[in-house]
Amino acid sequence: MTSSAIAAPAMGARRKPIDGWRWAGRLFLLLMLFFTAVPMIWMLLTSIKSGFAAMQFPPQWWPAEPTLASYQKLLDPQNSVGQDFLRFFWNSLYVSSITTVLSVAVAVPAAYAFSRFHFPGRRFLFFSVLLRNMFPAVIFLVPLFILMRFLGLVNTHGSLILTYMTFGLPLAIWLLKGFYDNIPIQLEQAARIDGATRFQAFLVVVMPLSVPGIIATAIYSFIGAWNEYIYAYTFLTRNDQLTLPVGIQRFFSENTADFPGLMAASFMMSVPVVVLFLLLQRYFVRALTEGAVKH
Amino acid sequence: MTTVTTGQPAAARAVTKVRSGIFNQAWINRADYLYVLPALVVMLIVIAYPIYYTIDLSFFKTPPGLQLKDKEFIGLDNYTAILTSEVFWRVTLNTIIWTLASTVFSFILGFGSALALHRDFIGRGVLRAILIIPWVISAVAASYIWKWIYHSEFGVIGAVLMQLGLVSRPPNFIDSVSTVLPSLIVVNIWREFPFAMIMLMAGLQTVPEQLLRAAKVDGASAWQRFWHVTFPHLRGVSTVTVLLLAVANFNSFIIPWIMTGGGPSNASHIWITHIYELAFGRQRWGVAAAYSVLLFIILMTFGYFYVRALSRGEKGADA
Repeated sequence: MTSSAIAAPAMGARRKPIDGWRWAGRLFLLLMLFFTAVPMIWMLLTSIKSGFAAMQFPPQWWPAEPTLASYQKLLDPQNSVGQDFLRFFWNSLYVSSITTVLSVAVAVPAAYAFSRFHFPGRRFLFFSVLLRNMFPAVIFLVPLFILMRFLGLVNTHGSLILTYMTFGLPLAIWLLKGFYDNIPIQLEQAARIDGATRFQAFLVVVMPLSVPGIIATAIYSFIGAWNEYIYAYTFLTRNDQLTLPVGIQRFFSENTADFPGLMAASFMMSVPVVVLFLLLQRYFVRALTEGAVKH
Repeated sequence: MTTVTTGQPAAARAVTKVRSGIFNQAWINRADYLYVLPALVVMLIVIAYPIYYTIDLSFFKTPPGLQLKDKEFIGLDNYTAILTSEVFWRVTLNTIIWTLASTVFSFILGFGSALALHRDFIGRGVLRAILIIPWVISAVAASYIWKWIYHSEFGVIGAVLMQLGLVSRPPNFIDSVSTVLPSLIVVNIWREFPFAMIMLMAGLQTVPEQLLRAAKVDGASAWQRFWHVTFPHLRGVSTVTVLLLAVANFNSFIIPWIMTGGGPSNASHIWITHIYELAFGRQRWGVAAAYSVLLFIILMTFGYFYVRALSRGEKGADA
């Protein structure tokens, strides 16, 4: 794009409208940056105010006496708020990690099969997997609650793990299939000729190549489980079992005025997923689009 | 395959008669199903059973509590009760506004951002990452951040408007019937536009550079190049993106639930929050199940177009 613009210096008259579009794009991006970042900045600024300073009008645009008191309170295992928060944090971490491991383990063979094999019903199965993705949690809540009661899983993390895993599967399979579709089948054929069984070819040739896809799928499973709210809200009642989104909601419905605390908790809840996303951004973005955009 | 065929000569002989039959194909490929089996088993338990159960329950009058032994068959009464209630139409209108506005604006903003980010410049990667963050963080956190921004006394938007002298007192964003839905839609767009942006950014990379250059040589303006070259190439990915956004928005729950709980006076109730309240708030399980079935039918319609859009993509890839 830029090279062709440079290569045509004679067409000075033509370059004007292009610059116009470019400036419009920059202005637009600036506005989007403002729209995106201001709420997050305001969250951070509020979280370092005292409760009193947050409740002022007009607000202190910049905190007059910045304090980390809210964070200290949330992270202090000595007081009850800190105990609760750290427990919620641990619960979320536990549930999300187990869900991620199990989802990947189940999704990998399924996605591979959808990508490579041509058994009857393959298309039907694939689309029913995708269609599941469309139905909201609410439809499943009552029957699942009864099912969990039957399995004795109510008020356990097992109920969440089972549910998250199932509802994460369609997306996981879909993402991984996109990756397998782009691994040339000739590689496996070569391995087969060299005497590997089909399963060995899958394990030794395809698996290592699909590591980026597996990483991406794992991130999605983790973030999905970490942010999930409605099942946790419905299946768990015991305070010591709650995951972060529900725990924070419970806690702050009792302390409605503590906005710095709420903002600090919202920030801390976002840290793990944002860090994960920033570190593994490449895989994350590629995976989502691998299936939707054909190369 | 070799491992399979050696063991069963008799079976293999038996099926050669119906070589083209679907069962024959299934039998020959039976090892393939093993790969899909774990996923299928889990999905059957957690998905097929609940769907069957919900449909069944929608024909019953249910007592409160989940003591469903005492339910009573009442045919289609739950459905008629829903369709004749005033709340239903209010909530349906809200859902349509919510879904349409969220989808259209998320798509437009995402499209614009993708186009603007397509050309390389300093800080592009950082900017892209910042724009995606709202989509990554929890909707619960997003709801609380915006609830605080919209706060009727100490909200930052109200304060800015006051300082600029645009209003005489802080406006009510989420406590007023007329402004609550648009205010929540803004929050939803904040969270959803990055998704459209990611999808379209990937789509833009598939637009052949040569075509754009050829169009330029032929004297096409920037707008003409966009409209006749770029845009047609993005039709497939745009369709999928819009459908996915529409489904996600139709299924939203967290933002209205945390920020307003559907209030004030149902002004921000959408289908999902309403169903949730019917079931777990008022314990009218039968009615909630009937609602879910209606929802199901609507989503299947969406689903039809979704599968069609995706199938077209698959065929295109094979060709």
